[in-house]
Amino acid sequence: MDQTLDKQLASATRSVEEARRLAYRDPSRVGDLVEQISVLADLRQKEGDFRKAESLYREALFRVQDLKKPDSSLTAGIYSLLAYLYDRWGKMDLAAQYYEKALKLSESDDVTDPDKSATIKNNLAMIFKNLKNTQKAEQYYHEALEGFTKLYGENHSKVAAVYNNLGVLYYAGMDIERAQKVHERALEIRQNLTSGEVDPGDLSQTYINLGAVYKALGNFQQAEECVTKAKRLRAEQSGYVPAPRRSASLLQDKTA
Amino acid sequence: MREIVSIHVGQCGNQIADRYWRLILREHGLDDSGVPKQGSNVASNANMEVFFTKIREGKYTPRAVLVDLEPGVIARIEKGEMSQLFDEGSIIRKIPGAANNWARGYHVEGERVIDQIMNVIDAAVEKTKALQGFLLTHSIGGGSGSGLGSLILERLRQAYPKKKIFTFSVAPSPVISDAAVEPYNAILTLQRIKDNADAAVILDNEALFRIAKSKLHRAPNYMDLNHIVGLIMSSVTASLRFPGKLNTDLGEFVTNLVPFPGNHFLTASFAPMRAAGAEGQVRMPFPDLARETFAQDNFTAAIDWQNGAYLSACALFRGDVKAKEVEENMAAIRKSLNFVTYIPTGVKIGVAETAPEGFASSGLALVNHTGIAAVFERLISNFNIMFDNHAYTHWYESAGVSRDMMAEARDCVTELAKSYRDAT
Repeated sequence: MDQTLDKQLASATRSVEEARRLAYRDPSRVGDLVEQISVLADLRQKEGDFRKAESLYREALFRVQDLKKPDSSLTAGIYSLLAYLYDRWGKMDLAAQYYEKALKLSESDDVTDPDKSATIKNNLAMIFKNLKNTQKAEQYYHEALEGFTKLYGENHSKVAAVYNNLGVLYYAGMDIERAQKVHERALEIRQNLTSGEVDPGDLSQTYINLGAVYKALGNFQQAEECVTKAKRLRAEQSGYVPAPRRSASLLQDKTA
Repeated sequence: MREIVSIHVGQCGNQIADRYWRLILREHGLDDSGVPKQGSNVASNANMEVFFTKIREGKYTPRAVLVDLEPGVIARIEKGEMSQLFDEGSIIRKIPGAANNWARGYHVEGERVIDQIMNVIDAAVEKTKALQGFLLTHSIGGGSGSGLGSLILERLRQAYPKKKIFTFSVAPSPVISDAAVEPYNAILTLQRIKDNADAAVILDNEALFRIAKSKLHRAPNYMDLNHIVGLIMSSVTASLRFPGKLNTDLGEFVTNLVPFPGNHFLTASFAPMRAAGAEGQVRMPFPDLARETFAQDNFTAAIDWQNGAYLSACALFRGDVKAKEVEENMAAIRKSLNFVTYIPTGVKIGVAETAPEGFASSGLALVNHTGIAAVFERLISNFNIMFDNHAYTHWYESAGVSRDMMAEARDCVTELAKSYRDAT
């Protein structure tokens, strides 16, 4: 096994134990415990031990819920971490269930984090796409789109990401015309982002998706152009390693 | 190092823990906070880490996980003499309580706490080099020890399929009873013990009471009963913790004691029986010690000696005993025991050099006797009287345990009793 991972696991385990002791003496320190637990659970996932990761998140969840005044945003965070875990584990039903719980909480009065709830909606849509519930997936994508647009305006990278996802959904449902429309919209936004904002990987992905759409429409010349552009982008960024992102805030738009 | 992690669940389980760790501490020359006492020879005590984690030079902490759904008993341990002993990270207390209801311990409250318990157990296991197995102490009549204990057993078996799981299970007494629903809790738990444990030592409160009363010559209290359980538990593991000529470990116990899968319900006997603190260094001649160890009225469950036979037996003598004496006396005792005809083996014998604190020598018998069927049959008949009249079952149904599930458990234990009767 990976030695650095082993070391990280050992130190994370120690931190969790220490946090458990602190929380045992003073229940209000559960927040720290949750933090340490999420680090350890992350490592467990890396190791491939989903069962242990689940067990850790559930410990965190019930510890928080047992407080006299459970912290709603903390609870929502754990729900979405659990959902993300189930997603990776392939337990889509559970993932959907927990994202919906997280969504409900993040829209409640004492949290209201519009960015988070839009992100969750996007993630939920992906789960429903995998569950072949196209109708619900589409609905959640539209809601996510609405949320991000309201927050950041029409031309934001997150809006583009959702458009891209929506395009993938339409394409999978053989609705090529609508796929073309939203992918072109995603491209338009992504092309006009400043160089700091744009992720070349995302942009090339849009080109590839659009290429697939053109190919399906029989427009081979445009398809080839798109693919060439995508290839060029990829070549430019060779050596580029995507930075790991925090799970709950992750917009996955590379599932095409 | 063949480490053992002890798990104590519920009120009874933790009361046993209180006595048991006291004994173990003394046997290893540690004070109540896990620090070696002045003058105690730790070096000769090389196997200490079977039961303890060394957290730094001169400080040991038990490999134990304490779980309860009510804070009472654990709080008492924490406020008592051993307040500095246990790792606070491995104590799990929850407020609501299981209300004597197996279903609440197994489903409702259990669901919310089992992950934390398993994480803590995992953390304890990660500190071991070559884990041998687990000891679980609980009562099977209450709510936490039985319901939550069952859930822990199932999860332990899933997570550690190859490790040995020993339970020390206190069975409700046929006469003295704390709650009407005890037979329900016991039957539901026995099914889980049968399916998930490698061996279970059945401790019958009534038998313990009788032993305590006849040996102590006064009305015993729960502390006395738990003290007996503690002595038995410490002896079961003694040969692992101390050097000896004939070593037995949990695995050997199981191999020798369990002739058929599922028939792993044992009873134990400890000799010489003394009250806590009143042992004195009385030296008992070995023949007497051996005889008392195998005396029928010294066993901790109400066995049907008349209509049953020994399937297997283990004996472990500790302290100042001579191998030659052991051989001679045990051959005679072996002949006097009524073994089933088709298992012609002798009694598996272990010897450990260090006797429990205060004893010059001691004996432990761990036996698998078909007469244990009587314990199950009694519980089943009490179960049936209530179950057939639908008494109290709504409490279980409302907590997620259907009548079908209860009937299934009863049938499982009925089958178990029958298999013991058939084996005779």
